Amino acid sequence: MESNVPVPESSVVDSALAPAVPEAFDFVREKAGIREWHLRSNGLKVLLLRNTVAPVATFAVVYCVGSRNEAVGHTGATHLLEHLMFKGTAEYDREKGTAVAAVLEALGARFNATTWFDRTNYYETVPSDRIEVAVRIEASRMRGALLRDSDRVPEMTVVRNEYERGENSPFQVLYKETFATAFREHPYHHPTIGWRTDIEGVSTHRLKEFYDVFYHPNNATAMLIGDFEEPEALATIERQFGSIPRSVEPIPEVYTVEPPQEGERRFIIRRTGQVAWVALSWRTVAATDPDTPALAVLGNVLGVGLTARLHLALVEESLALSVTVVPWQLRDPALFSVFAPVRPGVATEVVESRIRQEIARVASEGVTEAETKKARTQIEAEVIFDRDSTDQVAASLSEAIAVAGWEWYADYPDLVRRVTDGDVRRAAAKYFRDDALTVGLYLPKEGPGA
Amino acid sequence: MTATPPAPAAPPPKRKVPFAEAVRERTLSSGARFLVLENHFNPTVAISGSLNAGGLFAPPDRRLVASFTAGELAKGTARRTKLEIAEELESRGASLSFSAGSADPVGVDVGAASLSRDLEILLDVLAEVLLTPVFPAEELEKEQMRLVGVVREQQDQTSVRAFEAVSRRIYPPGHPFHRRTAEERIAAIESLEREELQRFYDERYGAGTLLLVVVGDVDSGRILDGLERRLGEWRSGPSPEIPRPPAVSPAPGSETVRMPDKASADVVLAQPADLERSSPEYLACVLANSALGQSSLTSRLGVRVRDTEGLTYGIHSGFSATHLGGPFAVSLTVKPESRDAAVAATLEEIHRFRREGMTAKELADEKSSHVGRFKVDLASNGGIAHALDAAVYYGLGVPYLDEYPSLVERVSKEAADAAFAKRVDPDRFTVVSAGSFDTP
Repeated sequence: MESNVPVPESSVVDSALAPAVPEAFDFVREKAGIREWHLRSNGLKVLLLRNTVAPVATFAVVYCVGSRNEAVGHTGATHLLEHLMFKGTAEYDREKGTAVAAVLEALGARFNATTWFDRTNYYETVPSDRIEVAVRIEASRMRGALLRDSDRVPEMTVVRNEYERGENSPFQVLYKETFATAFREHPYHHPTIGWRTDIEGVSTHRLKEFYDVFYHPNNATAMLIGDFEEPEALATIERQFGSIPRSVEPIPEVYTVEPPQEGERRFIIRRTGQVAWVALSWRTVAATDPDTPALAVLGNVLGVGLTARLHLALVEESLALSVTVVPWQLRDPALFSVFAPVRPGVATEVVESRIRQEIARVASEGVTEAETKKARTQIEAEVIFDRDSTDQVAASLSEAIAVAGWEWYADYPDLVRRVTDGDVRRAAAKYFRDDALTVGLYLPKEGPGA
Repeated sequence: MTATPPAPAAPPPKRKVPFAEAVRERTLSSGARFLVLENHFNPTVAISGSLNAGGLFAPPDRRLVASFTAGELAKGTARRTKLEIAEELESRGASLSFSAGSADPVGVDVGAASLSRDLEILLDVLAEVLLTPVFPAEELEKEQMRLVGVVREQQDQTSVRAFEAVSRRIYPPGHPFHRRTAEERIAAIESLEREELQRFYDERYGAGTLLLVVVGDVDSGRILDGLERRLGEWRSGPSPEIPRPPAVSPAPGSETVRMPDKASADVVLAQPADLERSSPEYLACVLANSALGQSSLTSRLGVRVRDTEGLTYGIHSGFSATHLGGPFAVSLTVKPESRDAAVAATLEEIHRFRREGMTAKELADEKSSHVGRFKVDLASNGGIAHALDAAVYYGLGVPYLDEYPSLVERVSKEAADAAFAKRVDPDRFTVVSAGSFDTP
């Protein structure tokens, strides 16, 4: 086995040197060590980041299509399609014994695909001498998926069980209902997994249409992170993706905008169980908004660690079992959420009012400079820890691409570093308004086995 | 830090140095072992470690004393309160945890991470909480109240209910893998006193079985000296011997745990398997299991029950192999109406697998998969620290990481089939389902 001990050897790519431009690509820019290239033949964006800490690399393709691009009748289509991408392409086909998963498993790859509001991503971390297999699989998926009805039928019930598993989780039930309540017009209204009867009812033909609209090189970004040589990597990507044409039609835009919320909204879900949950969510802004870094800092001040304000107010005071704060960062305006499972014996009203009290205090008095500094340091450290593993970098880059563009990943630490306690206070006062609030309660109801 | 990560301070790694040469190690007269591997690519450090103070060493009716003692270590020391300790770490984005879970009844897991610039502070805190915890009564009381709620919350989860019920059926009361009922555990949690934790700490904690692995952007000599300076005076503590619980041979059976309002049910099929991590047959068993059920996408069970029949989102089989041999278990989630079909398909596949063994292609694929995955898992400081920790903790030694590919390569089909069939017999399974079932 090889270890990862660095000893002096030849130099790494020197970012000060102008890169040699391979014929098929345009070099676009470099930031934070990430180089962006465009494949001339079809507009595919390619990001390369060398990290030679171990002889592995992560190849990922992110498509700018998520549940945000769905509508009534085919909610969950993006996700179901993602599942079908494992079933068969012209080259990798389970019916021929060359299923994507089997090929990757035999390499020892760590691989998966995920679907979210704004994007779908496919990734595989492979030994670095097998990069071409990963690239070839993704190229094959981009336009070569077979999407057979005989694949959809058994996979639909797999996805339905995934949906059912989610319904077992109070947290998931609450977050889905929160989005469905806070968003009425914008497609963030429906969950990524889709509504149950849409999962069951959507036709293979409709999925195929969806695939044909969104799966094109000009709606995708390919990225390679890890141990590779740039010229070889570009040549590999060109070899596998170069002949795929760009879409004939432009990729459709989502134009639906959620109007302002004009009053507090509330919902209650009652199911058999033992523990109640409380969720409070305020409407906020898109990830690209200048207030986003301040909201991220606020998320840490309120929710990260034993010394965070809501942890002190709820868990230290034995009112809640834990508390989770999520400053959602999405492409369109989203939410700032607080979720807490209530300690049995404590009234949900007490937890809700304690959260509102803490939020009101932040909105009126702001946070301290020390709290702001701590939160900034935590976020900075998270970004640096991310760089420890190639798949984590790929995941973070995918999110950035989906909501703002990849440079956002590179700029984020600086944006956070500039956040002052004044910024946090202004953001808290601006967004933590009762009229923009959705409150959800998950209440245990009595029943056999409860 | 700057937005642009600094140009790597060190040139790219040369990867031909075996772990056995690259890892620096120091063993103290107390028995404590420290391992350090330098990796300067990213300014971070990961720590993974252990010491033998898990539930196995607590009285059979008070196993939870071990998990509480580990969990309360950082809740206050002779010098500082819980919140002062937390502030010290959280203000740097650093983390430190101690846990004694039920999956490995022997060890307390130590996990920590920080930016390399904060490592000295992290090590100060680590030594402080290991050496001078005071187990404040008011902190214990808060944790008792919280955990009673957590136990109740877990009782709403079908997976938890299925696993707990199966472990009760296949392991007798008092056995380290036996899981007591929620009500029994709540009563035990509520009756805990801080003196019990203090006593367990005094009896079980010491340097004798302490192992700490540090991987990252560090100077190995300096870290070894620093660890010795901080922990060198710590008492050895009790004998490192690990008592073995008696072998069990439960009768097969089945049980349905009824839980209303659950869209998805969990099913567990299990039996005691007696496979220890250090067993010479470990790799043979693990390769065979991978072909059968490690992956929901590519293993036989996944291909049949998920991919072909569409009955589950996830199906997985595995051995629990630590210092002690735990259960072999297959777990899957299903829509309640699909349970019988899914269980029948699962049993049929396991019977066939046991009868016919792996195919040559399966064995070859699993070998290359394991060797490749091993490489992939060693791609981060945390991954390397964890692998080194496990290799030493289970007595395999650091060279195991270098020898792993050839050890995997050496496993024959006959050995894998025989090792698996010796331990897994579906006719001996206990089957438990938890969910919204109308009929048993």
